[in-house]
Amino acid sequence: MKLVAQLEDLFYRCQQAPKDENLRLSAWRLLVNESQVVSLGIKDNSPGGVYTPPSYRQKESGEVFLVWADGTCSEAIVQLQPQSTAEFWEQKMQQWKQAAYTDPEASHIPAPEPLPLVAVEDRIVREIIEGDDDVIFDLAKQWLEEKPDRAKVQGSIQAAWGYRNVRTSTGLAVTYQQSQFVSWFSFDSLVGGGFAKRRLILPEEQKKLWAQTVKRYEALAGEASAVNPETQVIFAPAMTEELLGQFIVPNFSGERVIEGQGAFSKENFETHKEVFHPQFSLTIDPLQPLEIGSYMVTSEGVPAVQTTLVQEGKLQTPFLRVKDALRWGLKPTGLPHGAAGLYLRHTVEETWNKILSTIEDGVLILSVLGLHTQDAVAGSYSLSAPHSLRIIKGEIVGRVDVKLSGNFFRDLAAATTRLGRSDLSLHPYLVVRTGVQKL
Amino acid sequence: MEQKELKTFVQTVLTEASTFEGYVIVRAQSRREWSMRLSNGRFERVSTGEDHGFGVQAFTESGATGFASSDVLEKEVGRKLVAKAIQLARRNEALGTKLNRQIWDTSKVIAEEVNPAQKAFGEVPLADLEEQVMTLHSRMKTAFSQAVWQTSYRQAEEVWCIGRTDGTLVSFAVPRAVLMHQGTVRAEGKAQSTLSHRSGMDASILYAELADHSLEEKAVNRAKFAQAVCTAPQLPSGHYPLIIDYGLAKGLAHEAFGHAVESDHMNESVLGEKGKLRIGLRVARPGVHIIDGPLVGDWAYQPYSANGLLRETVTIVKNGVLEAGLGDVFSGPEAGMPVTGAGRAESYTNVPLPRMSNIRLLVDRLLPLPSSLPLMDEVKSIREILLTNGELLEGQKNLLLLGYRGGQVNPKTGDFVFQCDGIIDVADPDLAIYQPSIFSGKILSALEAIRGGLGEGCFDAIGTCGKGGQAVPSSGGSHRYLLMDPDQQVSLGGTLG
Repeated sequence: MKLVAQLEDLFYRCQQAPKDENLRLSAWRLLVNESQVVSLGIKDNSPGGVYTPPSYRQKESGEVFLVWADGTCSEAIVQLQPQSTAEFWEQKMQQWKQAAYTDPEASHIPAPEPLPLVAVEDRIVREIIEGDDDVIFDLAKQWLEEKPDRAKVQGSIQAAWGYRNVRTSTGLAVTYQQSQFVSWFSFDSLVGGGFAKRRLILPEEQKKLWAQTVKRYEALAGEASAVNPETQVIFAPAMTEELLGQFIVPNFSGERVIEGQGAFSKENFETHKEVFHPQFSLTIDPLQPLEIGSYMVTSEGVPAVQTTLVQEGKLQTPFLRVKDALRWGLKPTGLPHGAAGLYLRHTVEETWNKILSTIEDGVLILSVLGLHTQDAVAGSYSLSAPHSLRIIKGEIVGRVDVKLSGNFFRDLAAATTRLGRSDLSLHPYLVVRTGVQKL
Repeated sequence: MEQKELKTFVQTVLTEASTFEGYVIVRAQSRREWSMRLSNGRFERVSTGEDHGFGVQAFTESGATGFASSDVLEKEVGRKLVAKAIQLARRNEALGTKLNRQIWDTSKVIAEEVNPAQKAFGEVPLADLEEQVMTLHSRMKTAFSQAVWQTSYRQAEEVWCIGRTDGTLVSFAVPRAVLMHQGTVRAEGKAQSTLSHRSGMDASILYAELADHSLEEKAVNRAKFAQAVCTAPQLPSGHYPLIIDYGLAKGLAHEAFGHAVESDHMNESVLGEKGKLRIGLRVARPGVHIIDGPLVGDWAYQPYSANGLLRETVTIVKNGVLEAGLGDVFSGPEAGMPVTGAGRAESYTNVPLPRMSNIRLLVDRLLPLPSSLPLMDEVKSIREILLTNGELLEGQKNLLLLGYRGGQVNPKTGDFVFQCDGIIDVADPDLAIYQPSIFSGKILSALEAIRGGLGEGCFDAIGTCGKGGQAVPSSGGSHRYLLMDPDQQVSLGGTLG
């Protein structure tokens, strides 16, 4: 019997006619993920080595949230128990009851609402899981055949597929299939490319990503002139994603705002304080087809919905889970998955190639060391970026090692900040004026 | 699930593989965790969780590998997983993978370690833990009301059993617990956060904290310091004489040095040459030592590797000379280093990688430092001791870096970065405070710059190592503070745009 069925049965019984009145539930919700993953890695030009072998993983686990008749609640992580008996689950309920705590605002389970139709499954990924996995082995082989002569390749290819089950005591019962395809490679651990969506990478996407990375790898071979205080800094899309994850996601968490642990206060949101330049907006969009941050329903049973966090530079709302929405007095919002599902936009957006051609004196930051160590609340960064690419008169001319000092909130508030669209990423290139000097 | 049950299951799975002509490693794990988080005087979350499962790593006779894992501990699933791992290993053989037969050369090990916890998991009921953590959390608001406090407590117990084709059967339990206070402070519209923790094996840390309040004192001191940092100026970029605390020293030893001596990195490491560890290379001054090994009761304790070998304590650097690396069974010999049981895995779903446990950076040249002083009194004391001993380098800032926020290193290039909570100039009689700024440079230069230590050994700086996408507990430390000379390859700070 599947875990979701075991739990559903258990919770209905405990809500309607518990054996032990002390274990009566007034409400509940559960999420169960059934997943299968196939992966293959490359280490030091060797596919499937002892640390990165072809792998298969299966898991059936989830999380439950229970509201007891006395109003207290419990949370637990659960997994499939093939040999489980009614006694086993009774014992579990006893344990969960012992872990109950009081949190009246958390005990609200929303009524079901119509779910949006969001494409989150690619059938081809399912076929990979079911055994037609040549695509994974072929891609690894292709990387190794086409790699630059001197480059040492590291990489990983992963396909995942499974069922997501959400059930609530208010009547929501949804099960849908979802998939993921994630691949990345790097040359000499210095420069790389990555792909992460709910669908297989297309041959033309792979080709473009590979060509761009090879070009940058070759550019890193030559030394370039040092930067100066006037040098413009350009964060590559992967960097923008990391910066959003480090500085934006935590500070737009409703829970952190309510608890006074974020960069912005509740009042800042209520008065729509301008924190970014008016040309910037920031949105959560879980409805985009086959994107990694897309979903149909949250683990709390809330349908996916687009949510504007910042409009014309002004704070609109943090992202709110059910409990935080209740405390705030609004409806629950869409949720980001890390920085995936988060879209930074500017009223004037140009393609990266066009932006590049306009840069007289710049440095393209592909990666930094130590971003995760920066204080998210302050927004400040002090980072080292060895192996960055120098741009002179619209051309990438070679490698330069730099140090960056600035503040991400200030970057997004500056009139001088520009945004360039990438055709390989949903996240943009960010062109900023920030502290830059030789490393 | 107990050790004995896991052992029985692992033996069952090994039986399924008995006709296979290659080699199989079976890793079964059972994990229990209780956690809670409190904010502003109320519970935000209390959660209990269990996870168990197993992984099968199969090797064909030629040494090609395949791996399969499941969270269902059933004989039938065991049979299927063995077949799947073997199928993937054969597929890998056809792909032209790099073959590895080192596991055949490993000696058989039979061991069953006793769980070292003083209080068994579940001995203190969850309701009692909640009460104790709430008491400790409530005290924070009283102790320093200008901060917004979040308190969390987590206790976990992992039980592992590793079996191999050669009859090896090793089982052990790893208990760990941590109490953390995170404070957010604001001044003049700017905000800073600070995190302090106390770790150990089990709920004993709560009883100890209720008795001595040492974490509370530390958290309050750090919150006051963070408040001062909010309005502090930024430091001009430069190369300074430095004093780093033991948290940062752990970061230096772990990120900047430990990773560079892990056996799977030798083809890329700045401390490798033609794939071999550069044993005999002078990397620091005489009197500087780096040691890695498990300590009972420590956050990163693990007595055996995830491949079923005894985890040994390794002196990586002795008297400034590179002496050994962290070798696991698969890449240690090729990297020219002994196999010391360095393989660790986040869980049964992961393939183990060579990695550190508790890494310590120690020096012979040591100045005493009174212990248990409030933070700024300790800083004053440091200044006086350095002045008395002629250790303050004159005519320049001597900067004390406080708190470790994490770091990162590129083992290939030797570039590292670390971030601290804030900086104090101990050459300034007023002990001027500065904003945190990046501590970066080349790892060998940083080691070479270490000239001495202050205070006793402190090895409880904890963290989570994310190597290879696996989150594994790590820990370590040094003397309470380390003294470093200025070096052109080690710098602090950058200039704001």
